[in-house]
Order: sequence, then C-alpha cells, then structure tokens
Amino acid sequence: MKRALVPVAAALLLAACGPKTPPPPTAEQALALRPADARLASLYETSCHACHAVPGTGAPLVHDRAAWDGRYKRGEPVLLDHAIQGFNAMPATGQCATCTPDDFRALIRFMAGREDSAK
Amino acid sequence: MISRRGALIAGGTGAAVVAGGGAAYLVATGDKPEPAAPASVDARGKLLWRNWSGVQHAYPAARLAPKDEGELAQALKTGQAPIRPVGAGHSFTALAPTDGTLVSLDAMSGIVGWEGDQAIVRTGTRLGALGPALAEQGRALPNLPDINKQSLGGALSTATHGSGQTLQAMHGDVMALRLVTPSGQVIDADARKNPEIFQAARVSLGALGVITQVRLRTGANRRLRRHVWLEPFDEALAKADARWAQHRNFEFFAVPFTGLAVNVSHDETDEPALARGPDQDVAFLQALRGLRNLLGFATPLRKAAGRALLSTAKPEIAVDEGWKLLSTERPVRFNEMEFHLPVENQLKALEEVVATLEKERPDVFFPIEVRRIAGDDAWLSPFQGGARGSVAVHAYYRDDFSFLYPLIEPIFRRYDGRPHWGKLHTLNGGQLAALYPRWKDFLAVRQDLDPEGRMLNPYLKGLFGVGA
Repeated sequence: MKRALVPVAAALLLAACGPKTPPPPTAEQALALRPADARLASLYETSCHACHAVPGTGAPLVHDRAAWDGRYKRGEPVLLDHAIQGFNAMPATGQCATCTPDDFRALIRFMAGREDSAK
Repeated sequence: MISRRGALIAGGTGAAVVAGGGAAYLVATGDKPEPAAPASVDARGKLLWRNWSGVQHAYPAARLAPKDEGELAQALKTGQAPIRPVGAGHSFTALAPTDGTLVSLDAMSGIVGWEGDQAIVRTGTRLGALGPALAEQGRALPNLPDINKQSLGGALSTATHGSGQTLQAMHGDVMALRLVTPSGQVIDADARKNPEIFQAARVSLGALGVITQVRLRTGANRRLRRHVWLEPFDEALAKADARWAQHRNFEFFAVPFTGLAVNVSHDETDEPALARGPDQDVAFLQALRGLRNLLGFATPLRKAAGRALLSTAKPEIAVDEGWKLLSTERPVRFNEMEFHLPVENQLKALEEVVATLEKERPDVFFPIEVRRIAGDDAWLSPFQGGARGSVAVHAYYRDDFSFLYPLIEPIFRRYDGRPHWGKLHTLNGGQLAALYPRWKDFLAVRQDLDPEGRMLNPYLKGLFGVGA
C-alpha cells in the first residue's frame, strides 16, 4: 500500500513544483474578455470573437492556456501563417482585410494568454 | 444554415453517437487533407488576402480602411487600380481580388441616424452587429441571410437574401444610398433623386464606386417562433409551396443520400422566449461526412444508414427575437453554387440536382438549401421582375467543387436560373444580358461613372464583357 502511494505522492509533489496552467475562463468570462488596446479590441470583436470566445466552436478558447499552449509551442511564425492563410475551420485572416502581421501577432498573444510575450 | 439542420439531431441518440465518439473513426477514413495555402507574403512583400472559403486570393499593393467619405474619395481617385471594396470576403466569385488597392469599410460602420423608422447605416457595419443595434431601437431588418458575418455593403452588393415568400432580399429594403465614385464624386440617390443610379447601384458588385451608407426600411423587432423538423424528401417537396405561403420565413434542406429533408420555419409570436439549445452544426455535418466516408461506395447502404441515424431526431422549437434566430454561425467552410430560378421551375430543378448528385457525386455530403425570395426592381437583382426560388449546392472546402460547373450549372441554366453574384458560376456578358432586361442600362451607368474602369478587376471585366 505504501509502495503504491509513493508514485502518487511524487506526482503530486512534481505537479505542485511545476508551472501551473491557469484554469480556462468560464463561458461568461470568455465572452467578456477583450484586449486592453481599443483598436485591437475592435479587430478582435469583428474577426476573432465569434469563434474564439464561444466554447464548442472548435477554435481554441481565448485565454484557455491548456488549449493554446501546445499550439504556441510550435512558434509564432506557424500561428501567424495559419492566421493569414486560414487553417482548418479558420478562414484566412479571420476575414480582417486590413489587419497587419503585427495585429495578428498581438491578437494571437492575447488569445493565447501570452500578452507578456509582447516586446 | 447548418445549425438549422444541426438542431435536429440534438435529440437524436444515434446521431449523437456518430457525431461524438464514432465520428473520429468515420471521418478518418476518407477525408482529403487541408488544401495547400498560398504563401502569406508574395515576392513583393505584399500580404495575402484570401476569401472565406479559400478559393480566391490576391496580394494587394495597398490595403486601405478610410475613416470617412473624404478619405475614401481620395483613395478612389488616386489609389492604384484595380480598386476593389471588400467586406468579410464571403463571396466565392473573384469580386474582391486585386493586385491594386483593397478598400475595407471596417472603419465606417454603425447606425448614424434615423428618418422615422428607417435607419441610416454605414455599409462597413457587419450584419451580426446591425441586429442588436437596431434592436436597441425596437427595430429589426425584415429578413436576414443565414450567415451574419458579411458587411452590409457586401451583402447588398451581391443581392444577399434570406427566405420568405413575401420578403425581399436585403437590397429591397434600401430606400436611399450614398455612392462615392471613382472620380471622388459623392452622389446621393433614391427612387426620385438620381433614380437611374439608385436602381443600378442597389446591386452593383462594387463596380460603380463604393456605397458608404444606405437608408434601410426596418420592421418592428418581433419575437419569432422557430421550428425545425425532419421528414421524407418527397413529402417536403409536395408541401413546400403551401409552407412558403403559410410561414413568414420558410426554407428547407434536401439531405442527399438520405431521402430526407429538414424544414425550417419562423413565424411571429407573442409566446415567451424559449432559448435555442447549443449549436449542433459541426456534429451534424460530421455525421453526414462520416456516412460519406464510411459508406460512400454503396449509396443504398448509405441511404439506409442515414435514414436510420437521422430519423431519431426530435424537432427543435425556439422563441426569440428574429435577429438572434435567422442567422447563425457557420464554422464549417465550404464552396457553393446557388442559382435563383423562376418559382415554377425551382422544385423540378431541385429534384434533378439531387438525383444527379446521388448518381454522379458520392463525395457530396452537404445538404442542399432551398429558399424563396420576393421580387424587386433593382436592375441587377436576381429577383428583378418577380419572386424566385433559390437552390444552393455546397461542397466541403477540402473537397473538389469543380463538378458544380459541368454537372449542376447546366441544370440551373436549363431552368432559366440567374446566378447568385457572390457564388460560383461561369456566366458572363451575353449570357447575363439575356437574363437581365436592364443589363445594358447598368453597363451604361457603369461606363458613365467609371469610364477608365478603375473599379474593374479581370473578373469583373470578363463578367461585364468590358475590354481588358
């Protein structure tokens, strides 16, 4: 019995020491989240919000680190290409005709909960 | 559209099983990979523009988002041609692509005034934002298309429509408009003032300049009762005319390879609100795609399985304000051909389309949308001269859609159909002149407003038969 508990305790210890993934937002929180910058918020509302702020659309939910972290590890250039070219269900550029690559980077960071990555 | 179908399976245990656990297996057996994407940036360093479905793309030299008519007029006068206005990029035809200047009106949106119950709306407004903005004043558009991501300008310019025998396409509610021409002139037009420009511009593919605002007729923001139910395709065909006469909004979807149809009606009601359940679009389409992937080789088996799977579906009822019910999300991308037919030909054409798909194209799984729209008098309106019945065939964005041209378009043309301006078709010049009695009048207005063809990209030159 004691032997069986050792790996469990070790796992709990490791989990406690490792970086914590913040919990995903509730559906209500996801709907309400907006970038702090007013222009970016406007772009987000027009082009991202309908899919990324609604659970179950298939798009990774805004500020859901568990959904975004795997994607983010592939690198911003890959995510930027996907945003510009379209990928799976996502239409190219989220149908934002005037967004710049910098806009997309900022929007990706916001949705991925990585605003702290902005330089 | 899809969620109208998808809602049906909310109570369908069998469908839910396929859409959930089984789908992962089913869809893994026959899907095509993600289509190759054009480069994000071209050799000149210009950023990619691509339409919603992914079949159109361009690398515009300039992208502009003017904040007012002065900025827009300057851009139209001095910008590198071709100058093309773009909304949400929901057109499947090459209306927007340009190597010159792409103009978005995203910075020119919102309701800017009222004349009685008519709202003055800037055309950069997205339809999804217009509904709640009108509702704040207790008003609503009489009808809406089943996607609400488009800009108002884009929707009007391509004769975008909903469904309802007594309801016109969106441009039917335009009472006045303001056009900024390629020479930078600002023209106000309505049925009395500049009437020729008004009738030409209401549906004009962004070819006369850029329409910056319209005065829209609105109706009271009534609560609607939405009813979605399934029945055999033959019964839906037999009862469709009566249902168009009976309901405020009615449409149905033929579900190929199942022998079934999904009916969707909306009627005004004073019943208390009844929330619409979670959207089931993706699950429903996954189920149909799974059936295609697993049983596409054996149509009789696929039909039997489809009927067994879907016939357990329970009807859906929801009650809410119209702008919340008539349009939906469409998270699954597709390519589409839609023609508008004389109403007496609509269902005959539909039967032929379904039979042809089931005989020739087992790869198709999307339902076929069948709507009816009241007539109007805009010169390039597909509904000019009287009511039309529309039939729309969809292909999943990863699948081949080229069959639409040799296989489906000839059926629509044989039944005197007019193509949706934003959806796939091959018609141009003389073919369109034969379908539109005011075609030459439109071309004359276009020549007058844009003699240098600054608004014409290669696609529009071909469409209008204007020399390259």
